[in-house]
Amino acid sequence: MEQELEKLRSDASAELERVSSSSQLEEFRIKYLGRNGQLSGLMKQLGAAAKEDRPRLGKLANSVRGDLEQIFTQKSAALAQQKDSTERPDLSLPGRRRVKGSLHPVTQCMEEICEIFASMGFSISEGPDIELDYYNFEALNIPEHHPARDMHDTFYIGDSVLLRTHTSPMQARIMEDKQPPIRVIAPGKVYRCDSDITHTPMFQQVEGFLVDRNISFADLKGVLTVSLQKIFEKDLAVRFRPSFFPFTEPSAEVDIACVICSGDGCRVCKKTGWIEILGSGMIDPEVFKMVNYDPEVYSGFAFGLGVERIAMLKYGIDDIRLYYENDLRFLSQF
Amino acid sequence: MKFTRDWLQNYVDLGELPPEQLADELTMVGLEVDSVTELYEKLSDLKTGRVLTVEPHPNADKLTLCTVSVGQETLQIICGAPNVREGLGVVVALPGTVLPGDFKIKKSKVRGVESQGMLCSERELGLSEEHHGIMELGEEIEPGLSFVEATGLKDIQIEVDLTPNRPDCASVIGVARETAGILRKKISVPFKNTELAANSSSFAVEVENPELCPRYAARLIQGITIGPSPWWLRKRLLSVGLRPINNVVDITNFVMLEYGQPLHAFDFDTLADKKIVVRTPRPEEKTFTTLDNVERTLDDDMLMICDGKEPVAVGGVMGGLYSEVTEKTVNVLLESACFNDVSIRKTARKLNLSTDASYRFERGVDPEGTIDAMERAVTLMVEIAGGTAEQGGIDVRVDHQPVVLSLRASRSAALLGVDLGIDELAELINSIEIGCQKQDEDTLRVVVPSFRVDLEREADLIEEIARLYGFNRIPITLPGVDLSFPEQDEERIKRNQASLIMTDAGFSEAINYSFVSNTYDDALLLDDSDVRRRHVRLLNPLTEDQDVMRTTLLPGLLENIRRNLNYQQTSCYLFEIGKVFLPVDGELLPEEPLRIAGVLTGNRNGAHAPLHFKAEETDLSDAKGAVETLLSGMRLNDHKPEQQIGFTTTEPHSSEPYCEEGYGINVVSGSTAIGTLGKLKNDILLQLGIKRDVYYFDLDFSALVAIEPAPKTFSPLPVYPSVKRDIALVVPISVPAGDLIQTVFASGEKLVEHCELFDVYQGDKIGSGMKSVALSITFRSATRTLTEKNVEKAHAKVMKLLTDKYGGALREE
Repeated sequence: MEQELEKLRSDASAELERVSSSSQLEEFRIKYLGRNGQLSGLMKQLGAAAKEDRPRLGKLANSVRGDLEQIFTQKSAALAQQKDSTERPDLSLPGRRRVKGSLHPVTQCMEEICEIFASMGFSISEGPDIELDYYNFEALNIPEHHPARDMHDTFYIGDSVLLRTHTSPMQARIMEDKQPPIRVIAPGKVYRCDSDITHTPMFQQVEGFLVDRNISFADLKGVLTVSLQKIFEKDLAVRFRPSFFPFTEPSAEVDIACVICSGDGCRVCKKTGWIEILGSGMIDPEVFKMVNYDPEVYSGFAFGLGVERIAMLKYGIDDIRLYYENDLRFLSQF
Repeated sequence: MKFTRDWLQNYVDLGELPPEQLADELTMVGLEVDSVTELYEKLSDLKTGRVLTVEPHPNADKLTLCTVSVGQETLQIICGAPNVREGLGVVVALPGTVLPGDFKIKKSKVRGVESQGMLCSERELGLSEEHHGIMELGEEIEPGLSFVEATGLKDIQIEVDLTPNRPDCASVIGVARETAGILRKKISVPFKNTELAANSSSFAVEVENPELCPRYAARLIQGITIGPSPWWLRKRLLSVGLRPINNVVDITNFVMLEYGQPLHAFDFDTLADKKIVVRTPRPEEKTFTTLDNVERTLDDDMLMICDGKEPVAVGGVMGGLYSEVTEKTVNVLLESACFNDVSIRKTARKLNLSTDASYRFERGVDPEGTIDAMERAVTLMVEIAGGTAEQGGIDVRVDHQPVVLSLRASRSAALLGVDLGIDELAELINSIEIGCQKQDEDTLRVVVPSFRVDLEREADLIEEIARLYGFNRIPITLPGVDLSFPEQDEERIKRNQASLIMTDAGFSEAINYSFVSNTYDDALLLDDSDVRRRHVRLLNPLTEDQDVMRTTLLPGLLENIRRNLNYQQTSCYLFEIGKVFLPVDGELLPEEPLRIAGVLTGNRNGAHAPLHFKAEETDLSDAKGAVETLLSGMRLNDHKPEQQIGFTTTEPHSSEPYCEEGYGINVVSGSTAIGTLGKLKNDILLQLGIKRDVYYFDLDFSALVAIEPAPKTFSPLPVYPSVKRDIALVVPISVPAGDLIQTVFASGEKLVEHCELFDVYQGDKIGSGMKSVALSITFRSATRTLTEKNVEKAHAKVMKLLTDKYGGALREE
């Protein structure tokens, strides 16, 4: 009996050495450690052994069981570790991704801009693309035969109807039916008959204006400086330069330090270190008179940004025409 | 507007101010500098020389052998020019010099004799078209100097992009005035506030339309000799890119650039009755030939300069061919006038003729500068062209009253956000030659000088204050505005929501031009009566294929598909949300409803999914699924019965003409059509250059926005378990499988919670003309756990309904 137990221990140990798969291991378990296995078989015979031998043999049998179970557990863990690689997932494989489209870069940029102004309490309002000459020009102090009309290459629909050349008509439209205080941005498509490497005949603008008592040019500088720094996500330098728009007085072009070269001078900023980014100014008293606001009581500022241009600078796009070709190789980059 | 540093220096002392700094300062006062260019940099290697001897070339008749001093050295140079002579000052290109046009000069042998350089003509230097002989520098020029320095060509050209409100700066003196303001210096100009001496009797001037011509002055210069201008004058014109013509014309151009006052010189002997009449055309005067030899059609309201008989110039725009100064001209009548800005602009527009003169008149010429400029030009003509100016002249004018404005320091402070004080305001205003007096402690009385036609209101003066003080010195503040909630634009919010649903569904957003070619109406086979054939038309389209405003989004999207397939995309899912433009009878402005459209082609699993997904061709269900996803994402699929959105293929909603027969579905809300989806006809696609199946959807987005979305209300989660039963029903092929689901829901059986279609099968196992439709029905009660018996009863009821209605048989799985 004692010898049989010792033999079982050494046989089983030797056999376990040779086990190399989980199925073999299972066979081993059934053969030696199972309910009807060899060890159980021997233990059942214990009852037949001499009474004085039983404690010793029992102890031995338990020690054999303990040893075998220990090496079985070790083997099992070892096997699990070196489990055949074909049975395990290849973790280097790419994940399973559902197809997802993307928003047009101009939309993305436009929404960012709108969000920034909305967070400053500007409401958002959109107007018609096809506009009356009155709102596009006359209400903005650009009468017929004003040289400033040269700055707008206008698409005409009829004598008094045109494709809006800027989003500024919304100034007149909104002020016509609301009283100050007003804080509005008006995003939308605008049109100019001009097409080359830096111009597309349709592009998008965000007009903004704020009218209340005691609004000053210093406030204009404040709002635009903060907004531009948020739009470009850095504390870039902003400068204001005198310019001319018939519907603002004073008028200012706003330049930002070149985002490409940080002001050192490069091709994009024409070596000036500055990039023209928007037009702005204090709303002209004539515009207020057209909507029956008293310019002695109210003042305000207005500005207009070109979204394509800002997106070009933010994303490093070098050809404006790419926007409206809708090439997926382009769209999928954003 | 172009000028040079050297020219500017004539009127204001620039000191050592570097050109870049000058440019920067001008930009910051509102004269935006476009470019700063060193002139004639390419000619910097050229030297002055003097011809010492000229001998015939031993082997060539037309060539001469010259010795030329270039300072220390004397060179032997072969020359073919007829005007080469001893003592002449010349321009020498030494070996190694590169002339304009990349022409490199080398030491070479010409017919066996060595030439150590080249004597240059003006054309070879790029200065003019003159090539009859070499350029003559005069006998006094010192040899061996840098050509561009010795002749004064070396200069810095500055170009300013003028805003339309600053015609006063369309002159070098105007720029000098701004520069003097920056430098706090005074300008000096040759003639200022001059008056015309006496009335001339040798000619007459009549102005019939003083409202179009507030001032017309003229003087007569007799006995002049037309010829080339002196070097200094030609150099000035060349430096700003103007071609010298002859002394009289050059002088009028020079003075226009100097003073901003356009001038015109008539050949006096061509003027009938020695008379100038300023008037609109007579009815019989239909056409006029301008000096560029183009016959122009006249309009009733164009202001013409006429002699005693007929027009001789288009006032303020361009002179006439037959009164122009020519080589034979001896007596010149010089015009200096002021025309109405709007009238000139209309005329220039109608004639499609923009000139240096019309540019200035359109924007406003100084009505008090007329005589100064004329006197400057007359003086130069006498000096240069050798004539005699008649004493006095004629000046017909309407009175000009100076504009007087009040400028309040308090108003300026409020508008600019910086309180400068009245004395600083006065100083700033004075710096650009605008006079003012203190009226009270807060107010300046400002007399606007006549050259500043743009200053009409206090606001204009405050702008002057701002720019002269410096925009960037004004502080930065944030407005103190009352807190208020910004109004939200519902349509805009829903548009953004829909865009995100579509991108999540695998579509990329496209944005196309709002204008398209009207040929798409035919390409899409639209009926003659289709409202989409009624377009808003552009009067002046850029190109023919952008001549009408779109009435559907499909043309743009199809063009995008074509492009993407051409660039080897294997999957292309695009959507666009945008306006279409529908004319409304009796209204000036069209309707601009928003639509949402999508196009789908290629692999539904995307272009780059080879591992986990098989390549699967897009089909109609993808298009329908996209619409379903959109509707459910916007919570529009579950709401009031009258707005119930559904799909239908039957009348009265007709299918689209571009949709393949049997592949079109109408989307309706209640009884209103809100769009369609389907498969585009292949021959349409082929015509557009697309060789793949393309599916589409196209919905009225404004209509979707108008439908109220299902409210977000909570229903308690089910407490009791559900029981699922699958059945397969064999029905005739003609039965729409989707209807079976409707029937199940319509059964009225309360225990039916959900019903899904999970298989449609046609084949050998089923009889011909039949198909098997497999449904999975979920039963649940809100109040108890269902027993087998409950389910059986409900199921039997539904089954009976289905078999009764469709005559189908149960198919045992």
